[in-house]
Amino acid sequence: MTATGPGRPGGAGHEPMAHGDPGPVTAAPPAPDLDAGALPPRSRGVIGLLEENCTVCMLCARECPDWCIYIESHKQTAPAPDGGRPRVRNVLDRFAIDFSLCMYCGICVEACPYDALFWSGEFGYPETGIGALTHERDRLREWMWTVPPPPAHDAGAPLPREAQAAGPGTGPA
Amino acid sequence: MAAVDLPVPRRGGGTAAAGPAAAAGAIPAGEFSLRIFDAGLACCAVEVSAALRRFAGLLPAGPGTGTPGAGVAGPDGGAGPDGGAGPGGGRGPVNVLVVAGTVTDKLAPLVLAAYQDLPEPRRVLSFGACSNSGGPYWDSYCVTKGADQIVPVDVYVPGCPPRPEALIHGLRLLRGTGMERP
Amino acid sequence: MTPGEVLAEAGRRLPAARCAAETGVAGAPGARTVTIEVPRQDWLAALAFARDVAGCDFFDWLTAVDEQDRGFAIVAHLYGLDSGLHLLARTLVPREDPALPSATGLFRGAGWAERETHEMFGVVFDGHPGLAPLLLPDGFEGHPLRKDFPLAARAAQEWPGAGEPGERRASERSRRRLVPPGVPEGWPPA
Repeated sequence: MTATGPGRPGGAGHEPMAHGDPGPVTAAPPAPDLDAGALPPRSRGVIGLLEENCTVCMLCARECPDWCIYIESHKQTAPAPDGGRPRVRNVLDRFAIDFSLCMYCGICVEACPYDALFWSGEFGYPETGIGALTHERDRLREWMWTVPPPPAHDAGAPLPREAQAAGPGTGPA
Repeated sequence: MAAVDLPVPRRGGGTAAAGPAAAAGAIPAGEFSLRIFDAGLACCAVEVSAALRRFAGLLPAGPGTGTPGAGVAGPDGGAGPDGGAGPGGGRGPVNVLVVAGTVTDKLAPLVLAAYQDLPEPRRVLSFGACSNSGGPYWDSYCVTKGADQIVPVDVYVPGCPPRPEALIHGLRLLRGTGMERP
Repeated sequence: MTPGEVLAEAGRRLPAARCAAETGVAGAPGARTVTIEVPRQDWLAALAFARDVAGCDFFDWLTAVDEQDRGFAIVAHLYGLDSGLHLLARTLVPREDPALPSATGLFRGAGWAERETHEMFGVVFDGHPGLAPLLLPDGFEGHPLRKDFPLAARAAQEWPGAGEPGERRASERSRRRLVPPGVPEGWPPA
C-alpha cells in the first residue's frame, strides 16, 4: 500500500483505470479563499521593496530577464564628522517594477545581495490601465506590509555559517 | 514587407468608428451576468479553466437567485444581449473575452476575429503577463506584445500565471469600474 | 538490437559514419542511445539503416543546430518502440549550400519537422512535397533561429540595467558600456 500525501483522494496504489471508470472521485473542493491569507510560504504573488536596504547596486535590474525593473538614482556626498573623509552614497530616485512584464521568476529577489526585495503572496491587483501595473516605490513599500514571516527552519538542517562561527548556544531555538 | 496589416483597435465594435455599435456596448443599469469566452492560448488557459470550474458560483450573478453558477451563462444559457431577462431575472449577459496566454503574430488575426464575432455588450480581460504586454516573450521575433495591440482591453490581470482567484478579482473589477468606457 | 550490435552493423553498412553509443544505467537519460554521424550524401542511407536494420521505426523529431562556420548540423531522433533504443542521426550541411535530401520518403512524419527547420534555419530539403512556412506569420523575412539573427527588440529597447549606480540613466560617457545579454557586440550597426 503506497503512502499518500494529505488531501489525496483514494490512494490505494497505482492500478490502471478500467475503461469507462470515472476515476477517483474528488471530494468537494474546500471553500475558495480569495484572499492571500492561507497561501503556502514563499508563494509568489507580488514583490515588495524595503528601500532602506537598497544600495542601488543595479544587480536586480541587470539580472531581470524581462527588463522590467526601472531604477534611477543619483550620488550624494555626506560630510563626515570630525574631519573624516566625506562619503559618497547612492540615493534612490526611482525604483519601479512593471508587473505587466514581470514573470515572477524571483531572480531579482535572489540576486539582491542586501535583502531589499521580498516575496509576498498577494495576487489580487488587477488594473483597468496597463500603466497602473507599473508599481513605483511607494506602492512597492506598501507590499512590504503583506510579506509573511519567513518559514521556520527545517528541524534537521545544519546551522547557518554565521551561527556556527559564533559558537554553541546561538542556533535557532 | 507584406506583413499582416491589423487595424488599430477601437472601442465600440471592432474597427468601426463610433456609431450604433458604440451604443450597443453600453451596459444596462442593474444587475447583469457574465458570459465568459476563454481564449486559452497557452499556460494561462489552465488557470482560467481552474477558476471557471471552481469559482463559477462566485462570479457576479443575477439578483436573488442563490443558484451556484447562475452568474456564468453557458453558450446556450441566458438570453441575448438585447436586454432580455438573463438567468435569475437579471439583464442579459455581458460577453467577456478572456485572452489567456501568449498572443503570437500568427494567431493575432484570430484573436481579433474572435473579438469581432463577440456580440455586444462585450468586454476584454487580459489574463497573464503574455497577453498584458508580451511578458517573458516580449523580445521574441514572433510574439505580439500584448493583446491590447489587437483588441481593446478593459482589465489587465497580472501574473505568470495569475492564480485562479486572481481571475475572480479581475472579473469583479471588470464588473465595477471596468464596465465604464471612456 | 542492443546498442553494441547497432554499432557493429553501422560500421559495416555505413563505412563513412562516426558512431557512438551511450549505455548508461537502464532508465537514466541517455541510456540506450546510439548516435550516428554521417556525411551529407549518406543521410538517407543512415535513416534507412535506423528504420530497417536497427528497428527504430518511430520518428520523433528533426531539427538543426547553427554551428556557425561549420555549417548547420541536422539532427533527427528516432526511437524503437519494441527495443527501447534511441538513435540520433546527425549530419552537417555547409552554410553556403544548406541542402539535404528530404526524409519524407522514409518517414512521413518528417514533413512538418522539415518545414519548421526550413523556415527557422533556411535549410532546403530536396524532394519535400511542400516546403511552406509552418509557424511563422505570413510575410516574415529571415530565418530566426540562425545565430546571426539577433533579437531586434533587445537592441531597440533601452536596457534598464545599462545605467551605473548613481546615474539617472545610461550615460554615453560611462567608462564601460554594458551590452544587454542577448545582443551581439556592435549591434545594431551604427
